Amino acid sequence: MRRSTAAAVGTLTGAALIIGVRLSVSTPPVTAAAPPAIDLSGNGQDDTAAPEPSASKKGGSDKAAESSSESSSDKDASADKDSSSGEAGGSGLKNGVFQGTGSKNPYGTIQVSIKITGGKITAADATYPTTADSATINPPAIKKLNEETVKAQSADVDAVSGATFTSESYVKSLQAAIDKATP
Amino acid sequence: MHHAEHVMGTVVSIDLADDLPEDTLRGLVGDVCAWLHEVDERFSTYREDSEVCRFRRRELTLEECSPDMRLVLDACADLWRSTDGYFDAYAAGPLDPSGFVKGWSVEVASARLAAAGSTHHCINAGGDIRARGLSSSGKPWRVGIRHPWEADKLSWVLSLADAAVATSGTYERGDHVFNPRTGKPARGLRSVTVVGPDLALADAYATTALAMGTPGIEWLAKLIPDGYESAVVTDDARAFTTPNLPAAV
Repeated sequence: MRRSTAAAVGTLTGAALIIGVRLSVSTPPVTAAAPPAIDLSGNGQDDTAAPEPSASKKGGSDKAAESSSESSSDKDASADKDSSSGEAGGSGLKNGVFQGTGSKNPYGTIQVSIKITGGKITAADATYPTTADSATINPPAIKKLNEETVKAQSADVDAVSGATFTSESYVKSLQAAIDKATP
Repeated sequence: MHHAEHVMGTVVSIDLADDLPEDTLRGLVGDVCAWLHEVDERFSTYREDSEVCRFRRRELTLEECSPDMRLVLDACADLWRSTDGYFDAYAAGPLDPSGFVKGWSVEVASARLAAAGSTHHCINAGGDIRARGLSSSGKPWRVGIRHPWEADKLSWVLSLADAAVATSGTYERGDHVFNPRTGKPARGLRSVTVVGPDLALADAYATTALAMGTPGIEWLAKLIPDGYESAVVTDDARAFTTPNLPAAV
């Protein structure tokens, strides 16, 4: 049961990370005060110590704060440890809805919530930006190159740009003619 | 003052339009040529004793390399990342930074000229151009882009006051650009011209798009916000330009 819970939380954290990575182009997620997240139960209790969608928790510094009976060596389940702390010795998790700390990135805030019933995760969800900000993820198609026909013209120019010619093929180039004609 | 110098396996045309004493101009041209020969000696893949060849043979460690060599290697690595691996100094096998070195050396030459008092000049290194200020006619430099099939014709004419123009193509030296994904010569594009603020990057971008083939046309559009405009001709003679290519009127 612990393993399956750990796996579920791990998957959830992973999903949050994937969303986070997809959405963040240049700025790493910054944790901030949690804004309202979706409510899975409608009346569930909140607990801000729930999984945090951030990789920085892995093997994190709060390990020492764990309950002494949490002897699990599964570091990937650090989020699990957080939410179950205080239930020392218990085989399950506290019932209720737990929200992760909102993870901010340039496109909005992502927040993960899980619902625990009877010591098991029974639901999980994550908010994602639905505001106009999210349009930045897929900006309107940028300008494209215009198609036209290739022209062949003669004109008076100062220099000619072209694929690099060799010292030998230079003599036949238009640039050589310009060099000859220029004092 | 106009001068054509055989160096780096090609010919570099130097055009100084500044109102400076003849001796000064001659000295400036001499400085540019000395720098280009220094670059050639250091980076030529044809000289057994060049720093590039010695580094290839592991006779030099990275720490023993010159600051210029390390700068070039760093720039090539940055370009490899920013072009999704399509700009690859190792695309043809051993290290060959030539796709960056020529443009970079001319960009440096132009910056040195400007620092030495020449603010109106145009350097053309075998088809890659850095222009600054105005030509001797008092107008922006007029730069033609060679027609990819007719050597004596132009497909576009640009008007440039302060910009770099680089063209990569398959028509002059054959299959010399490789698609690093397939290991085969680049196909799809006949000629790629990139116009922008820095010749080292313009040159690398033109080579990158050529290596990509037709997907390179879409890729070039992404460079517009960075100030790089482009003009492309495909193998089947279709032409593409970005909306703000500085065409002469």
